[in-house]
Amino acid sequence: MSRRFSALISLLVLAAMLLAACAPSATPEPAQPQPAETEAPAPTEAPAAPAETEPAAQVGSTYKIGFASAITGPGSSLGEPERNTAEMIADQLEAQGGVTGPDGVLHPVEVIIYDTESNPDTAVSVVRRLIEEDEVQVIVAGSLSGNSLAIVPVVTEAEVPYISMASARSIIQNPETGETNKWAFKTPQENLHSARWQALYLENIGVTKVCHLYENTGYGKDTFNQATAAFGEAGLEIVYSDTFERTDTEFGGQMAGVQVAGCNAVVVGAIPPGASNVTVALRDFVPDLPVIHGHGTCNQAFIDLAGPAAEGVVSPCGRLLVVDMLPDDDPQKPVLQKYIQDYSEFTNGEPISTFGGHAWDAMSWAVEALASLDEGMSLQEQRAAIRDYIEGNIKNWPGTGGVFNITPDDHLGLDYEALTFVKVEGGRWVYYPPEQW
Amino acid sequence: MSFTALRSPRAWLGPLSVLALIAVVFFLGERMNFGPQQYMQLILDGLRGGTIYALIAMGFVTVFNVTGIINFAQGAFVMLGAMLAVSIYDSSLPLMPAAKLVVAVIGGIAGTTLIGMLLERLTIYPARHSSPLTLIIITVGAYISMQGLALIAWGAKPYVLPAFTTLDIADKTFRIGGVVLKAQSLWIWGTTALVLVGLAYFFERTLTGKALRACAINKRGARLMGISVNRMSLLAFALAAALGAIGGIVVAPTTRPTYDMGLVLGLKGFVAAIIGGLVSSPGAVIGGLLLGILENLAAGVTRSGMKDIYSFIVLILVLLYRPQGILRAGRKPVEAG
Repeated sequence: MSRRFSALISLLVLAAMLLAACAPSATPEPAQPQPAETEAPAPTEAPAAPAETEPAAQVGSTYKIGFASAITGPGSSLGEPERNTAEMIADQLEAQGGVTGPDGVLHPVEVIIYDTESNPDTAVSVVRRLIEEDEVQVIVAGSLSGNSLAIVPVVTEAEVPYISMASARSIIQNPETGETNKWAFKTPQENLHSARWQALYLENIGVTKVCHLYENTGYGKDTFNQATAAFGEAGLEIVYSDTFERTDTEFGGQMAGVQVAGCNAVVVGAIPPGASNVTVALRDFVPDLPVIHGHGTCNQAFIDLAGPAAEGVVSPCGRLLVVDMLPDDDPQKPVLQKYIQDYSEFTNGEPISTFGGHAWDAMSWAVEALASLDEGMSLQEQRAAIRDYIEGNIKNWPGTGGVFNITPDDHLGLDYEALTFVKVEGGRWVYYPPEQW
Repeated sequence: MSFTALRSPRAWLGPLSVLALIAVVFFLGERMNFGPQQYMQLILDGLRGGTIYALIAMGFVTVFNVTGIINFAQGAFVMLGAMLAVSIYDSSLPLMPAAKLVVAVIGGIAGTTLIGMLLERLTIYPARHSSPLTLIIITVGAYISMQGLALIAWGAKPYVLPAFTTLDIADKTFRIGGVVLKAQSLWIWGTTALVLVGLAYFFERTLTGKALRACAINKRGARLMGISVNRMSLLAFALAAALGAIGGIVVAPTTRPTYDMGLVLGLKGFVAAIIGGLVSSPGAVIGGLLLGILENLAAGVTRSGMKDIYSFIVLILVLLYRPQGILRAGRKPVEAG
């Protein structure tokens, strides 16, 4: 008997550990894709002729980009399109033979891809391997904010330029001192940008009292914190907030709270399927309240999973989602269209996601920086030069996530207008700019 | 309970703590301005979730009774039932949607049952002479493997199984004085009631069911009567898998099934089984319903995000103070098998 029960207890401990391990905070980064720097010997040209056939080009040393994303684990819906994008760029580079340096020498580029398994420990160990064994010049890694935060100290100590594909501001900036992390950059827009849009919209439709529901993950909590900040500035009051789990099937508690709180709109910070399930519940319980999401819902999956309940939902989203509806003078439009075309071709029609776009932006910076390297530098010098290049030369740079302007104080270089505003209509996201509110 | 037992302070502890709990719930609900409508909604939602926990808990109980192990792969059966049904429904079978759903439900249950039997033959049976601890660890490994395989087979994306009533992603909704009731909830309750009746009939009236019960009561005795305990173990896993699959399939339209949905549902089912004492099917049902209502009420009046925390607090309290479950008198844990 006692043996059985001690077995039971140990099992419980195990189960608890399992639970902890399996419920990581996948921080989705909404994004959109797009390439394109005009001056870069861009990876975007994916054309045909293999380089070896060009006898004229001198072939220099091989450059290496280290890439790691959450290919498996709970972050895999982010990490897979990112990995596909990295493979696509590697493919394009191979077709071109590599990047051409300032002196005209062609350098083959190798992209080394690892899986972080959505796990910060694994992320750190593969990044160490990229730095020490593979001796890469630059690292693009981290689909999730938690994983990226774990990587930052490693790259800082080794002095390797690092571009994250996750959204948290703290990846590039110490939240306490406000100091920029010298070696870390990131490409996804932030929840603060989303919150600003939400505040603008809420003010515009005359809402003053807001309910905020968010999923119990790092991403969800950040949406709430940023909303608290942005809504406060705009004079909006969050009268009720609560969390839910991605796997929840009942939302009775949250709905009861919303019903009695007396708010005039509900803001949700979540990714599908949680975001979809909570939207269905909101439509059942408070059909008259407007529902505003954050950029974690910016994909077709959100609508497919919520069904008719999604109609009328609005959200700030990256431009990738509504590229065909963008005005033609939008600087991102050509980049976005090119990314969508390339990605669909490369993956045989996999759905486009903003996450792949984050990888595209990050990889494109890395490639562009590699192309700027002079001959004869040591690995350490190359790494430092890449860092300086990204900090100093990504200006007015239309990517999939926005038009980037990186400065020494801002290793993201986007403001809230990197996102745009969209609405669900007829089962799809449509462009819904402020003029139409 | 004898008169002297009632005089001992311990006997009053249970009822008193229940009263205190209700008082706390009302006090906190009052602060949130909850009215009867909110309480009704919370209880209704709790009953729905609890019914699913009950189905899963019965799977735990069935396996524990016959084999003496806790089958942590139970959650995987829940996920497999839902995922297989979704796959069949999404396939290009040339059938009307309603017929297709029936095929999907039957296929989901049958497929999961088969997997449950395979699991028993491939992992539990070869190790049947090992200690229960070893077998339990095997089931944990089985769960992780099945979840991993599901990730490979279905990917991380959530799927949609249509509501049974409308055959559409949007379910029919009834509103009774502000309380919202989904048609799918009725399906969940109806299915569970049918399953309970079926199980009762099976255990009380059929020879195989009686043989299963005999194994649960006394393994050696059963063996002496010519009952193959090994076969009964296989049957128990089949039954548990079917129960899990039914739970997964009826709950699927209210959620969006993913490869990892089995973990939390499986653990909650386990908590429900523990509340019910781990050896009794009616106990499992009461445990499931209690757990569902308790976690929903507690979370509703505080923070809904803390729902899972309450479930596991309940688990710890039950294990500490009533390891024999809440239905049985006495403090001695029950020996099964």
